[in-house]
This record gives sequence, structure tokens and C-alpha cells, in this order.
Amino acid sequence: MPTENPYLLFDVPGGQLAFGDGDLDVWAEHLAWCYRMMGIPDGSTIAVQDYGSSPISFLGSSLLMPGLRRGVAERFDGRFICLDASAERVTLTPALLAQLSVDALVIREDVLELLSAELRKKGFADLAQRTMKTIVVFGDEPPALNPVRLQPSRHFMHVESALLLAPQCVKCDCFHLREGFYEVDGRMIRNLRLAAPPYYLSRGELFGPSHCAAGIHDWCIGWSPRGRGI
Amino acid sequence: MRDTTSGCARNDLIETLSGAQLTAWQTGRLREVTNHAYFDVPFYRKLWDRAGVEPGPLRSLEDFERFPTISKHDLVEAGDGWTNPHQGPVAFSTRGTSGAPLLVWLSAEEEEAYIQPTMRGFRWAGFRSGMTALLMSPVWHRLAACEAHAIARLGGRCAFFWGSMGSEFTDSFLHTLSSQRPEFITTTAPFLLSLIRGSHGATNRPHQLFKGVRSVVVVGLPLTPRMREFLRDRLEVEDVFERGGTQEGAAIDECRWHTAPHVHEDVCYLEVLDDAGIPVAPGSRGRLIVTKLSTAGSVFVRYDTGDIAAFAPGQCPCGCGFRRLKIYGRPESSVLVGDRIITAYDVRMCIEEDPTLVGRNVLLIREANARAGVLTVAIEGEAHDPAKLQARLREQLGVASADLVWLGDLRVNWGFRQVLDGRELQLPRS
Repeated sequence: MPTENPYLLFDVPGGQLAFGDGDLDVWAEHLAWCYRMMGIPDGSTIAVQDYGSSPISFLGSSLLMPGLRRGVAERFDGRFICLDASAERVTLTPALLAQLSVDALVIREDVLELLSAELRKKGFADLAQRTMKTIVVFGDEPPALNPVRLQPSRHFMHVESALLLAPQCVKCDCFHLREGFYEVDGRMIRNLRLAAPPYYLSRGELFGPSHCAAGIHDWCIGWSPRGRGI
Repeated sequence: MRDTTSGCARNDLIETLSGAQLTAWQTGRLREVTNHAYFDVPFYRKLWDRAGVEPGPLRSLEDFERFPTISKHDLVEAGDGWTNPHQGPVAFSTRGTSGAPLLVWLSAEEEEAYIQPTMRGFRWAGFRSGMTALLMSPVWHRLAACEAHAIARLGGRCAFFWGSMGSEFTDSFLHTLSSQRPEFITTTAPFLLSLIRGSHGATNRPHQLFKGVRSVVVVGLPLTPRMREFLRDRLEVEDVFERGGTQEGAAIDECRWHTAPHVHEDVCYLEVLDDAGIPVAPGSRGRLIVTKLSTAGSVFVRYDTGDIAAFAPGQCPCGCGFRRLKIYGRPESSVLVGDRIITAYDVRMCIEEDPTLVGRNVLLIREANARAGVLTVAIEGEAHDPAKLQARLREQLGVASADLVWLGDLRVNWGFRQVLDGRELQLPRS
């Protein structure tokens, strides 16, 4: 069902997301659920290196979007660091991580290599790896293992056009499609909470509900070890 | 109070204060901010104790001038000592163009204070209820985070394109422009200039996509009068407005008279000082010093931005009593030639006297011979009247000589950085 009276419109790769009254809080709550599923505790400082038009960024705090009553920072009683994903800004991240202790860095896969190189250049890679969780955001498939990159603690599946946000579970290592948010029909995944085109899962294995106790009614997506970047 | 639809709309109380009333109001705010900083932010207490100043007896702007100025380096060094207990949950990074980047915190209370001037600036630029605004990324800058809130409160819709403010995202911007048909746009001047340059030979020229856009509000580059005309004419939009601000709290917006951006005096107290730390008269340039009039978020008291700025003398025809300030350059957009600081803005003013050169990217080259008074300028495209241009640069900027580098087909990204090191560009000179 199309969003009624949308007042926020985001062009994303392959589509558009439109939000009306009350929509943003539904998705901020879901994003907070995703972070908890990936093992991020309340009170955390979460830094996100992504574009401002990505929900992983703009749902970060109520300060970023009108109509968002409680973003991730408010739901975690934590802090949110806005790090734009442009190359110019990625090069600044090591100096910022040196100033502030961050619990989780959530970063787009396509800029991970650049950040890893900058961290190495500044002699900060080992410290970063030890002191924070790195969550790597990918689209269709988790990136293959690359030893020169900062090693992810978790992966986070994000298909922008479908507003598909599926966290890698700390219990089962699979990616949860949360009950009530997504519906699975064959290999087609439908968003139940926002008007968005369905997403066809071309690779990966789908497991039906009861696969994992962390979300007993969730469908899960699993990848081979290589597919999980291992 | 009323919200006029023509001229500079004015509907907040602060704008109706007389000069003396505004000074008294700001002095009160400064007293509150300095008291808070002294008791709650250890960095300031230590600094001011050492300098022998205390906020208690602050009764006038002259009292305030006795407080020492601070730099980004001081704040980076201070680390946790600069933490404000009310700094808020969200942080943005400065661009790090003048040394290490700094994390600047924003709280709900502080954002609320800054949404009001953002609404004011947007009204000045012609935003009206029911319009759609295509906005900058909210995570790009502290002030950009206020924009969507301001548009929503003014009764508008917000649209965002995918990506960031680099030239690689101009197609994405154009896509959203054509699908959403906004009447109002906020963006950066380098981004728009990249877009215009990238559209040469394109089937869809930018002005076709900008059809219906009434106002474009730009940040990131001080507009020269001819640059504004160039943007307006190429994009065929009704008007182009300059907006400015710093992560440290400065906030300025132009009214439709374009005499210079007005300072939003309700959220920041700005000073322009000479090298000895003495305030300069309106019309004279100096260093921009920022104090944020809020005890929330990161606290900035007499922060030396390193920017080169001047207050505009006299009154604006719009009737708004807020002072007007032009920021001419930042450390990354100026060079020292002999004993003079030359900004890219000054150079563009000279260059754009030749209409064929308007809209070309201009870069200042930092070279060893600058000490001997040689200004080196790189200009996009083929040479045009170089002898006349050199003479103009010498005469108007007071430099001993001007060396020109014509870049021909070489395209250098439009950016905030407008100075290159000599070694970065090896080309024949004229």
C-alpha cells in the first residue's frame, strides 16, 4: 500500500522510499532491533559511515529527521556519529576514531577498503580492530574475505530499494528477516511495512521459521563460509 | 508580527529588537554561556583562570573581548576536558582542511535553537508552505541536519538524492531533480558548478531539469556577483542565495537583496578581529571568531575559525537589523603572497571582469616565489587576454607580479579546497 501523504522522499539505488507520518519510528525501531541482533548493547556509541540518504544514517537520531520521535541513539540511550561515506570524509575517519572511543563502526562495504588503507597509513588499524565492532553493510551478497581490509565483526544486509535490513545474528550467523517486517514467498522477499518493490534473492540459502531461537518466527538467509567473508 | 511574502519575511521577535536591545540580549546570552562553560567545561575554566578572566562580571561586549580566543588545535588537545555535560547524542565531523578534524556535538535543545534561523533563512530565500525542497544530506553538516526540520515546519516536503556532495553524484542529483520537481534546493556551489561543467554535450541540459525551481541556496563557496549571475542564468532559476555557517556555530543567510549574508544573531555572536586581536570596523577584513549562544551541544567561546571575513557597513534595504557578514576565504582557499593574504574569491573577482572567464574553475597555487610577491593562478580552459588579466591582478590585488597557468582541457574538481601546492600541478605558464 503506498504511503499516504509522504513528506520525506529518498531516492535510493533502484528505487525510491517515501515516508509519511509515523513511518520513520517503525523503521528506527527495526534498525535498533537489527543492532541488538548483531550484539550491540544499550548505551553504545555507534558511528555510521554511509550516505545521508541511507536509512542506516538518517534513522540514527531524531535530530536528523523531522517526524522521527526516537532514532537509534535515543532508543539505545547512546550516541550516534555521522560519518558521510564520500571518499574525502572517509579519509578523516582514522583521526576521529583516535579522538573518541566508538563501540561500533557501521560502514558501507564499498568504502571499507579505503578506510582500511587510511587506518593502516595512520598506524591505527590494530587498535581499531581491538576496540570496536566493525559492521560491514552489503547489498546482494556478503563480500569475500579480504585480509587487507578491516575484518568485520558482523555483516549487515541492506537492499536500499526494498528497505530490506537483515542483520547477521550472533547466535546462528545467518541473516534474519524479521517477522512482521518481511514476508518470504519462494525466493521473493516482500516488505510488509512500507510500499517498496519486492526483492528477489538470487543467491544464498533460505531457512524457514524455527531456524534460530533468537527470532523463532523469522526467516533466515545463510551463505556459504566464503559468502560470509570467512 | 507578520510573515510577509515579499522582501525579507520577518516574524520572529528577535528581528524586531533595536541595536541596543539586541546588544543587551546578546550580552546576557554570552554571560550565560561563559558561566556554563566556566563551571561545566574544564577546558574553559583552566584557560580563563590562566588568562585572569571570569564570566561573573561580564556586563558588556567589551568585557567579553577580554576572553582569549581559541583554535581547533586547542580543542583537539583538550580532549575530554572540552566535553560539555549537555553536549547531546549526535556528532558531526569538521572537514579537517586546517589540520585534524574535530567532532562537534549536537543536542536536541541546540538544534531547536538553530531550526528557527534556518526557517528564517529559507523564508528569506522564498520557501513557502506546500513546496518541495531538494536538500543536502543531513549527515553532511550540523546545519544540514536542521534543514529538513525547518522545511517540515514551514509546511514543505523534503526530497533527498542518493549519495554525497562529490561530483560523482551529480547524475544522482539530476535524477531526483527530474523526478521530484522541487521548487527549492539547498546544495553546495562546487557541486552545482561541477554539474554545469559535466553537462556539456549532454542531451538534457541542466536548465531543462531546473525548470520550476524558484530558489537555489548554496553553501561552501563565497559567491561573487558574476558567479551568482552565472549560476542563475545557466540553471534558469529565479534566484540564487548564499548561505553559510560553520560546524562551530556560525549561521548566516542572504536575503533577496544579496548585499551580504545576515548573521543569525539569536544563535551566534560573531566577531571580526585583526592580527592583534582588535575588532576591525565594518568593511575591513579580519579573522572570523565564533561564539555559539547556546549552552548545549559542543561549547565554542571565541573560537578562531581562521576564516577571512568582513562585516558589511550600513543597513540592508530589507530592514532586518542583523549585521551582515561576508566570509571571503578559509585557510584552504587563500595564499600568502608577499605580506598579503589573497583569497580565491579576490582572484575570481578580478578574473570574472572578463565575461568569457566567468564560471571557470580557478585555483591558487602555493609556491616558493609567493614570498617574493608572485601570485600564481591556474585557470581552467584556454588562455584569454592574459596580459590584461595579469595587469588587473597586479593592480587590484597589490601583488608584484601574477603568473598564470592555463589548464586547457585538464579538469580539476570543483571543491572547497581552492589552493594547490605547486608540485601538484606541472604545466607551462604564460
